[in-house]
Amino acid sequence: MLDRRSFIAAALASALPWPAVAGKVAQGLFIAETPKPLTNVDIRDNQGQPAGIESWRGKPALVNLWASWCLPCVAELPALDRLKPIIEAEGLRVIALCLDRSGAVGAVNSYARLGIRNLAVHVDHQRQAGEAFGVAVLPTTLLLNEKAEEVARFVGGAAWDGPESLTLLRALIAGKKLETAMSPPLVRPTANP
Amino acid sequence: MMLRSMMLAVAIGFGALPALPFGPTPALASEFTGRFLLETHDGKRVNDESFAGRIRLMAFGYTYCPDVCPTALSTMASALDLLGTKANQVVPLFVTVDPKRDTPAQLKDYMAAFGPRFIGLTGTVQMTDAAAKAFRVRYEIHPPEDGDPNHYVVDHSAGIFIMNRDGSFAAKLGYMADANEVAERLRQVMDGEKK
Repeated sequence: MLDRRSFIAAALASALPWPAVAGKVAQGLFIAETPKPLTNVDIRDNQGQPAGIESWRGKPALVNLWASWCLPCVAELPALDRLKPIIEAEGLRVIALCLDRSGAVGAVNSYARLGIRNLAVHVDHQRQAGEAFGVAVLPTTLLLNEKAEEVARFVGGAAWDGPESLTLLRALIAGKKLETAMSPPLVRPTANP
Repeated sequence: MMLRSMMLAVAIGFGALPALPFGPTPALASEFTGRFLLETHDGKRVNDESFAGRIRLMAFGYTYCPDVCPTALSTMASALDLLGTKANQVVPLFVTVDPKRDTPAQLKDYMAAFGPRFIGLTGTVQMTDAAAKAFRVRYEIHPPEDGDPNHYVVDHSAGIFIMNRDGSFAAKLGYMADANEVAERLRQVMDGEKK
């Protein structure tokens, strides 16, 4: 037990800096020390059919966590949509996982508004993906190996169809060791898409 | 884990001793009072007493997150799901620190993404400033990089507050808190009242 004096000292010390974290979240590419199996969560397609981690094995994958209320997420969806036909032909799955509470409705409406043509609808049916994958900010994009293990994650928005991103994703497909230096540049939206 | 429980313990202590330790310290510009006078996303003027009798689950922020968006409101919504019918005793509030862009209409639209219980609170800059100060939430408005006055960036201290039914402080959880933790703290607050 703390005595009163040290309790007050502790209270004071803690009260001074309540950390300002929201604007200071580390962004960019983070490489996992060892590939990390993903916790299984209930992911469905727009027909309500299971479309989760079990079906992602066998090929490396890019899994982008987004929500319709997240401006930078919505801003990068068109780049992911353009990326999908390019990189899937080379052997990478591209999955956009919508965390909206409204489920497929939110995803479908956003896709329609943005003119998304290639991305399939994936929804976090039980609203567990954010916590299960340790994602505290959106957008966060997980890069998985063919065993559906996380080898890296990108926090923030990126031009996913840009040259730096393609180099990174081709290294993932080739099973090469990813490095922080392979990070595509962060993209910050300048207007409400 | 230990650090987290320690911080939690201190945070609880902070609530229990609101007036004691903070008076003479010059570094502390303002006292935590938990008071506010704001407007709901439906244009109704409210203050902290307007929610008397209900436990408040509160977050500060803004809807125009420029680079990454905290998932605090999703966490709050999931925590309320976990509480089942007990969630009726809790009112989830979101206070903007960016009232210039977060108009009532914008907030209303945004709140809808998290469920019908959520109430967005805004007001004049003076009103939201005062509310942020009363919860000792710090934020800064950064000038726009591209010269467009609507493209500024707001930094703020994230976290989720739990306030007792009388509006007094019960707990503050960090931005990494998950729905289970938030639900558990809400249950503790409810259970503590029964003793």
